Amino acid sequence: MKMTYILKYTFSFCLLFSMFLGHAQETSTTTIAKETTKQKPKTPTAKPEIQEVKPDSIKTDRYGLRVGVDLYKLTRGFYDKDYKGVEFTGDFRLTKKYYLAAELGFEDKTTDDDRLNSTATGTYIKGGFDYNLYQNWLDMENLITIGMRGGFSTFSQQLNTYKIYNPNPYWGEQPPVVDGQKFNGLTAGWIEVVMGVKAKVFNNVFVGFGVQLKMLVANAKPSGFDNLYIPGFNRTYDGSFGIGFNYTVSYFIPIYKKKVIIPEIVKPTPKK
Amino acid sequence: MKKIIALLLVFTFGLSSCEKDDICDANTPTTPRLVIAFYEITAPTTPKNVTNLKVVGEGETNGIVFNPTGTATGKYITNSNKISIPLKTNANSTTYSFIFDATNLNPAAINTDVIKFNYTHQDVYVSRACGFKTIFTLNPTSTIAPISSPFEQTDPAGDGLWMQRVIIQKYNIDNENDIHIKVYF
Repeated sequence: MKMTYILKYTFSFCLLFSMFLGHAQETSTTTIAKETTKQKPKTPTAKPEIQEVKPDSIKTDRYGLRVGVDLYKLTRGFYDKDYKGVEFTGDFRLTKKYYLAAELGFEDKTTDDDRLNSTATGTYIKGGFDYNLYQNWLDMENLITIGMRGGFSTFSQQLNTYKIYNPNPYWGEQPPVVDGQKFNGLTAGWIEVVMGVKAKVFNNVFVGFGVQLKMLVANAKPSGFDNLYIPGFNRTYDGSFGIGFNYTVSYFIPIYKKKVIIPEIVKPTPKK
Repeated sequence: MKKIIALLLVFTFGLSSCEKDDICDANTPTTPRLVIAFYEITAPTTPKNVTNLKVVGEGETNGIVFNPTGTATGKYITNSNKISIPLKTNANSTTYSFIFDATNLNPAAINTDVIKFNYTHQDVYVSRACGFKTIFTLNPTSTIAPISSPFEQTDPAGDGLWMQRVIIQKYNIDNENDIHIKVYF
């Protein structure tokens, strides 16, 4: 019993790291797995067939709500004095492959650039869906997802200090100017493409990692300044692109179950 | 789907590696200098080159560098008809000595005029890499209270002003493309 537990655990971590190493191989196996599933709906069209199939090949898919927290944001506050933040994540399994997903967070970040020092504080909400590309064996519930989100943030920015750029410093470089001006009521909206992995490490506990590519669609800039950091979007660049990632620990709350018949072809090495 | 993921992964790492390295581009208009052009007094439309002009700020030992490649004394000397001089970004006035024919061995030939420029300044946001710039507005000419003037010209040596007429062309100093002050001599 304990062995299977460890086995599951190691497998879950292998899955997690497969995102980094040998990704091409990982995806190719998933596509093969997908092809086998395509055949699946054809066989169990008629309901009475369920009784004919051996009990081994009946799999129950659990549906429910998964809630979690981003450990990266949470722990960053301990070692980075310029950062305070938290992000709660949640997803709800809609169908076999689709999950409704959302994130809710708060960030307080001081950006210290060469010439500018500013603090952005605010909350954000992101909502969208995840599509699970991973074909699970037996009762495993791991996920390799690709999804989309729409994000919206409402925040304020404070310009702490700035330096004057003077290409001709005949009179010497002026020390940083302390400003302290605060810009309230700022908003920004963006779209994200999210790629993620979630591995089940204990009964209902998942560990996940996700990367986000973001594109700003709306950005209310303060007059006489710029949004250097947008909570939820992270730092801004000259264009509208942004990136982000999270490292989550989440708990799955099962709500209901659905039975799925596994076709005979899929019979991997017996685990139990 | 596999291709999309591969593409997105490449894109992710590509994007993070070619992150803008936050260096202020030299072509970005930042804090402007005061642009002074010299003209012939008898023919006010004709630009006139100055002779070995040296411009030294009040309290400074070295002049403004006009030729960075010049010799020890030569780099502070200009013979052109247009000069650009920096204003103090944290004060409301800047004083310069304009030394005409500064390299002449005959001290009598050297003529120094002092001009104090009076202005207000404002800091304007440029970008993340460049920070802010300062733009200036020369004070208006007013003889009634509150009395103000864009510049005060003095002649410390009492040898007569070599800058016979100084005319403000543009009060707002927000770029270096315009001529702000015209000097006739």
